[in-house]
Amino acid sequence: MKKTALFLGVSVIVAGCASVATGPQAIDWNKIPATKVALFYPGQSSYQWLRSEAHAGAAKETARGDSCTSCHDDPKEEQRQGAKILRGNHPLEPHAAALKGKNGHIDMTVQAAYDDKNAYLRFQYKTHNPNHPGNDYPGYRFDGKEWKAYGGMRLNKNVLAGKTGIVYENRLNIMLDDGKVPGFAQQGCWLTCHDGERDMQKEASKAEVEANALLKAIKKSDVRKYIPASRSDPMDWKTGKPLDEIAKLKASGQFLELMQWRAHRSDKVGGADDGYVLEYRNFDKGSNHFASNMDGKTKQPKFMFDPAKFGAKAFAASDYGGKKELILVKGVNAVPFDPNAGWKEGDILPQYVLSAADAKGSAADNKAVSSWKDGVQTVVFIRPLGLANDDDKALKPGGVYNVGFAIHDDNMTGRGHHVSYTKTLGIGAKADITAVKLN
Amino acid sequence: MNIRTLIVSAAIGGLCLSAPAFAQVDAEEIFKENDCHKCHHPTKAKKGPSLAKIAAKYKEKKLDEKEAIKHMTAGKKVELDDGTKEDHKIIDTKDVAVQTAVAKWMLNR
Ligand code: HEC
Ligand code: HEC
Repeated sequence: MKKTALFLGVSVIVAGCASVATGPQAIDWNKIPATKVALFYPGQSSYQWLRSEAHAGAAKETARGDSCTSCHDDPKEEQRQGAKILRGNHPLEPHAAALKGKNGHIDMTVQAAYDDKNAYLRFQYKTHNPNHPGNDYPGYRFDGKEWKAYGGMRLNKNVLAGKTGIVYENRLNIMLDDGKVPGFAQQGCWLTCHDGERDMQKEASKAEVEANALLKAIKKSDVRKYIPASRSDPMDWKTGKPLDEIAKLKASGQFLELMQWRAHRSDKVGGADDGYVLEYRNFDKGSNHFASNMDGKTKQPKFMFDPAKFGAKAFAASDYGGKKELILVKGVNAVPFDPNAGWKEGDILPQYVLSAADAKGSAADNKAVSSWKDGVQTVVFIRPLGLANDDDKALKPGGVYNVGFAIHDDNMTGRGHHVSYTKTLGIGAKADITAVKLN
Repeated sequence: MNIRTLIVSAAIGGLCLSAPAFAQVDAEEIFKENDCHKCHHPTKAKKGPSLAKIAAKYKEKKLDEKEAIKHMTAGKKVELDDGTKEDHKIIDTKDVAVQTAVAKWMLNR
């Protein structure tokens, strides 16, 4: 299995570790134990649904905090649940018809290691599409006059209506708790999934969002993941607590770490997002590995492709799903947008431009390397140990953490992912997934 | 009635000349398709008693699958550990052959 061993050029990839071995450091993953984790398609199984009579025989137990796996513990449970939800008649997936053929579950392996500087988390799974790495992303399409958003995930309203193409990037996500978020060890990611969020039941309307004190205070235009403690009534997204109380929760560690590797928006620059979930799905302070490619004033893209590098200044909708990588990277294949370059109807430019150098601050803590070969996606997250930012969970040798995983696969975002029940991750300590100390 | 049950019934219909009906039924699969396993573990007490415990009780009290079928079809109130009561799950088939197969499978754990 030599070919799948991933060699990490740590001195190149990880910022600020001049003290680490100078040459590329190799981890022989063949020597690190692999834990199997199954993820399933959860549909709209929100915090509220799980506590309703529709979760027959389990509403009361879930509300009192029982762990999901106290009941959902069959060896094939995830496989069964995902297939059932996608079968076509399950209330948790109203769009099952549009998802015909979708896989209900994903089998993933997880390996973990650490050294004095970093934790390394390695994941492998098969992408549903064996012929494409899922690194395309919606673009801005020139319609002869204006640049308009093109493409969306499978559950996008315009996609369902047949008005735009199916395009979205794959993602691998880790949610992590250090024991400070009540209930996460038992119920994991499902603590953060609520009615009112995007594409969920009772999705919040624009007017409802605008009328909401918390969302107004944090300047957001939709409802996203939140932990129960951020609401005075966790069953109702509208009951957000005042900002000073949210700040107190954060200071006491009541938030979840959220790391996301993105096949389009972070992979090419060796990054992974660093975010956290509290009253919203937030990014950490600083700048991400990706930035918008739309100039708000001119309503035109900021960058286009360098024809000398990319072969053209833009691409067309028919290029999606093909062999060419449609990713715009500063310092590699991006040049400033030229409004007089002779744009034709149908030209498409990426919605985001990537830059390793622009990623800064706490948002830039996580790095990642990946490969996609023969339909198998491999991702290694590199997370510095002992982070001290107020929006990070510090990983420490000897520590045991609760983790939940999610995969956005085959043109999905938002709720359209596969999700795992909680596992424990030990940094050199015994857990479901134990990170092995490297010499 | 869900699709799987229909298929099972159809299969039974086609095969009942050559074999006893329940022999053709994957009882474990039906048990799990009906979410029974979420409350009845082979050995562990979950919300409901374990299969081992149910089997032992039936053996001791000399009860048979007819009694078990009552529990999965009547929707009777069951008493929980905390003293509260709720309606028991009703199996998703009216086919007695299938119910019998599931009951026998449960009692043979
Ligand atoms: C007390 C046992 C119990 C607990 C605890 C429990 N469930 Fe369930 N769950 C069930 C049962 C029983 C069903 C089947 C209900 C039905 O459709 O009749 C179910 C159904 C589901 C379904 C629909 C698909 C399926 O398998 O039928 C999902 C999704 C689900 N549960 C997720 C969860 C999650 C997530 C948690 C933890 C937050 C959880 N459950 C906790 C017993 C439980
Ligand atoms: C929501 C949880 C739950 C589900 C789902 C469930 N059961 Fe039960 N079951 C119970 C409880 C609790 C009892 C115990 C009743 C008692 O002891 O009075 C029970 C009792 C029984 C008994 C009787 C045991 C006895 O002592 O006589 C049988 C048989 C049975 N269940 C079969 C099934 C079958 C078949 C299914 C699926 C169709 C199923 N159960 C689904 C909770 C459940």
